Amino acid sequence: MHQRTLRDAGETLVEIVITIVIVSLAVTALIAGLGTAAGAAKAHKDLALSDTVMRNYAEATKRAAATCTPGGTYNVVYTPPTNFGVSVSPDGGVCPALDATQALLISVTTPVGVTKTMQIKVRTP
Amino acid sequence: MTAPHGTHRHDDRGAALILAIGFILLISAIVGGLAALITSSLDNRGTLDTIRNRQYAADAGIQDAITQVRSVTNRTSALACDPSAPLTYVPFTTALNSSNIRVDCAKAFGVAGSTDNYVLAQRNVIFTACVDTGSACTTANVIIRAQVDFEQKYAGAVTTTFVQSWSVNQ
Repeated sequence: MHQRTLRDAGETLVEIVITIVIVSLAVTALIAGLGTAAGAAKAHKDLALSDTVMRNYAEATKRAAATCTPGGTYNVVYTPPTNFGVSVSPDGGVCPALDATQALLISVTTPVGVTKTMQIKVRTP
Repeated sequence: MTAPHGTHRHDDRGAALILAIGFILLISAIVGGLAALITSSLDNRGTLDTIRNRQYAADAGIQDAITQVRSVTNRTSALACDPSAPLTYVPFTTALNSSNIRVDCAKAFGVAGSTDNYVLAQRNVIFTACVDTGSACTTANVIIRAQVDFEQKYAGAVTTTFVQSWSVNQ
């Protein structure tokens, strides 16, 4: 009776230790996975917002160019969200000639430094 | 009334380990699901960016085409998209945002205008932009369809350009 109780107690202890190790690993993996998912969700949100910024800036540029006169300039009015950056190349807002379009490269930078670019063309109406 | 001690312990032996393994499988499934969700989200973002870039490339293609057509003074030339002209015009092409865009044009109903310019001539042109596959744009692959009115004197350059409709299809 005494012998059997000792053997059973030992097996239970090993089992519990192994179980705790496994559960710890699983919980660590879960926490790491949730952390990665949260980071990815933030990155995805920034990228989705950068798409909106890109579209809005492109449309603001086209709207500004729609007031162009040959030889004149246009001014793009657009304020990006906090921590987002927008730049355009070539800068300066010079209206294109009537017989040509102007290619512009728009760059949007997210708060974590990811840069997205897109080209558009504008024309003098 | 209760089971003998030996039998009871034998049945329970290893139960905690099995539960732990079940738990780790469950957690693995959750983590795997999260990884799949993250991957597909970022893939979808990339796809949407590609579509946006293609739409703006098509937009640029039509802007190019409008600019070229309005510089044509001869209203009956192929470059003016007049159907009475030989249908041998070269479609407009634009390469932008890694997309090769083809723009076809067709003349719609317009106003011929009077020689005394009392009535100005109005050329209505329908532009269709699609990814260049080497053949004309079809309703299935057109990205942007725009109808543009070019107003001009009976003999002379286009004075005003009106975009009458602009639809983005894909």
